[in-house]
Amino acid sequence: MAPDHILESFLAKEGFALFEHLGNGVFRPIGDFPPWLARTWGAQFERSATVRLGQHSAFLENFLVDAEEFWKAKKDGSANSGNWIERGEAGDQTPLEAAALWLDGRPVLLIRNFLRSFGEQKQWLQTARDSLLAHEQLVREIQKKEILLHCIIHDLSQPLSAMRGCFNCLTAGDLPADLGRYVDLGQRESQRQEQMIRGILEAFSGELAGQMSGAEKAADTVDLAERARHAVESFSAAFRGKGVHLQLDPALDPSRDWTSIGDAPRVDRIFGNLLENAMRYTPRGTAVTLGVVEKGNSLLAFVDDEGPGLPKGEPADKLFMLFAKGKDRPGKAGLGLYFCKMTVERWGGTIGAETRSRGGSRFWFSLPRAQSLATASKNAAANQTPPARRLPAQGSQERGLLEKGSKHQPAKETATPPARRNLAQAEKALRILVADDSEINRELAMELLKTRGHSTLGVSDGHQVIEALKKQRFDVVLMDEEMPEMGGLEATRAIRKAELSSGQHQAIIGLTGNATKEDEEECLKAGMDGFLSKPFDMHKLFQTLESAALGASRIASETPSALKTPDAPAEDVAAHLQRTTAGNEKLIRSLIKSFLADAPKKLSAIRQAISRKNAETVGSAAHALKGAVAIFGAPHAVASARNLESMGRAGNLANAVQEFQALEAELQILERQLRALNAAPRPKSKPARPARRPRRKTPTGGAR
Amino acid sequence: MITQKICMLGSFSVGKTSLVRRFVERIFFDKYHTTIGVKVDKKTVPVNNTPVELALWDIYGEDDYQKVKMMYLRGMHGYLLVVDGTRRQTLDVALALNDKVTQTIRDVPFVLLLNKCDLADQWEIEPDTDKTYAAKGWQVLRTSAKTGENVDEAFSQLSLAMLAKMNSTSSPGESRST
Repeated sequence: MAPDHILESFLAKEGFALFEHLGNGVFRPIGDFPPWLARTWGAQFERSATVRLGQHSAFLENFLVDAEEFWKAKKDGSANSGNWIERGEAGDQTPLEAAALWLDGRPVLLIRNFLRSFGEQKQWLQTARDSLLAHEQLVREIQKKEILLHCIIHDLSQPLSAMRGCFNCLTAGDLPADLGRYVDLGQRESQRQEQMIRGILEAFSGELAGQMSGAEKAADTVDLAERARHAVESFSAAFRGKGVHLQLDPALDPSRDWTSIGDAPRVDRIFGNLLENAMRYTPRGTAVTLGVVEKGNSLLAFVDDEGPGLPKGEPADKLFMLFAKGKDRPGKAGLGLYFCKMTVERWGGTIGAETRSRGGSRFWFSLPRAQSLATASKNAAANQTPPARRLPAQGSQERGLLEKGSKHQPAKETATPPARRNLAQAEKALRILVADDSEINRELAMELLKTRGHSTLGVSDGHQVIEALKKQRFDVVLMDEEMPEMGGLEATRAIRKAELSSGQHQAIIGLTGNATKEDEEECLKAGMDGFLSKPFDMHKLFQTLESAALGASRIASETPSALKTPDAPAEDVAAHLQRTTAGNEKLIRSLIKSFLADAPKKLSAIRQAISRKNAETVGSAAHALKGAVAIFGAPHAVASARNLESMGRAGNLANAVQEFQALEAELQILERQLRALNAAPRPKSKPARPARRPRRKTPTGGAR
Repeated sequence: MITQKICMLGSFSVGKTSLVRRFVERIFFDKYHTTIGVKVDKKTVPVNNTPVELALWDIYGEDDYQKVKMMYLRGMHGYLLVVDGTRRQTLDVALALNDKVTQTIRDVPFVLLLNKCDLADQWEIEPDTDKTYAAKGWQVLRTSAKTGENVDEAFSQLSLAMLAKMNSTSSPGESRST
């Protein structure tokens, strides 16, 4: 047997079929045919001296175009078809691959049956893809779990915080010893529940649990520049594959301190998500730049791309929402950026995206500097106010005094217990507009402020704030940053714009769930006078609002008379009477005498009307009493009478009992003042000392 | 007889092979079997009362291991762009493939198939994805190789579009008659 024939026989046994290309799609078989050939393309195939291979296989017909180009170009090497499956006449399937090459100066087509390696190749590819699918499934499951835990943290903890706030309010009030014990119990149990939530998180997600209690734990620090460099190294190959140049910002100075709060694995994950996002949208031939810059007390890391920029008309915040995807430029599952946001915000940072002025997008996140965090913690520790503790014995004693007061006994000076000392009445009662879309948060803030002696009105969005301010004046507005319809920032900007022509200045304190420097800056930039973060400390709340009101009164260009609205809480009764009667002592005594004789009757009429649910009489009797009380100033009593009048006129007596109790308490104070004034030999020179007003539980919502 | 080449394009495990098997053989297997290389199946269908042989090129799914060679698309008359609705990233892959195709071969009819609609409760793609792309003038169908929902409809719509394209051009393109 000639050596050539031995080789041809060997190739046939190994599953190779060789054909010499004669041109125009015609081939001449070389050597023996392998068994698969007749099985696949028929027995007549073997009997032909020349064949048109393209007629037997659509795949081969397609490949022969490339093969003929290869032979025509007389290139070195070979042109390969890639794998295909050829179905035989009997339905059996044969895995084949073809190559065009030059052999011994002749254009040759080699077709190989790779059945032996096919199984192996299929097995590893199947395994790889099964693993990939399993991994995708696992990632989805993990993300679902993390979202669930996220909900536990935010959604379950939030009402718990509110409950604890309510307990604080109760603690601040005057409770009998037995009720006090229940409050203590409630407080203890709410704390226990919070610990249990944390315990569950620690068991199921160490990462999230750490984030939940991040404020209490010493946070890790991370070198952002180092992580940026690491990200560039890790992703360079992938970007190169896409024809995009990934680079570190040349302006990044490695000798400087780029340490922020955070930890390396999660910062890597954030960079990774942002880079994957950039890779998705950045066109071939452009560059993506990753860097870190200083921004106040924070460090801002960014990923700049040269893509189409953010979708027009869509807020950048939306990109970071759960399952958010760019319109017409979809990303993956819409979780990557959401997790970036979750992580960054838990470290007290912020994240965002914007279209760059020079084109492309900038995705950024800022984290507090490690140094500023340490300073903040130190300051927080130094400024921490010890928790107010209610002293049951003293509390009940005070409660007793107030109860006695309701029976017209004079108020007695008592030592303010330690817990109450912090909750002493404000020097000046303020009218405060509380704007928060969360009803519980709004009620809580209002209740705390009332405890302090301030009057409040609650609204739930920015539009309502503006409307309320048109109707009446408030010393200060406590404005939640995020509200539906119109948020706090937008409302503040609108108020400030209106003030340009009025010359007035409304004190506004921002309230937000995020305690970051950037949020504070946002609030101040919008025109707010100050900033409080949730959950707020009540002492801080009082201090901030009262300082703001004081500051605003200095800032405001209002005339002194403008401040004397009917509700203004400045004057005491004696001074009021002196002013309104021009010091006519006889008239003053006459007025007092009439009032003391008449007011109990009017009060009784209201009480009876309420018990009989006679709204009309409540309205008219309250109106009459309001006029009588207004003679003596007494803004709080007037306000209560006015509220009752409104309730009666509206036919809604749901809160009338509580309002009546408030009115009764106010009238007791007024009565004491008037009796003292009447008994004084020279009221003109010695005005009656204002009595302490009792704290009262009142229905919420009404301005006083 | 007119022969029309249709390519099945999409990421791996989106159901390209299952759609072809459902259409040609009327069967469905739940277990995923990866496709290696290319397999060409044929089915003759009446289109506008004319028998048309469809050569269905079931091309392996694109992923990091295998990239679709554009040479397989030569002479293609239309293609089905297949997405697995339960895996968000398969839409990205399909869109990227579509970009590649349109850069290489212009004006070829195609239908976007949002497959696995029997698992719609597990979909990761946005519910209005079909409307989004339909608004761009694309033909979009929700399909299920498992239940057979819209499978024939998908091939039928594409066939009609291919024939319309063929008739609108003066040359019969690369179709061949046997």
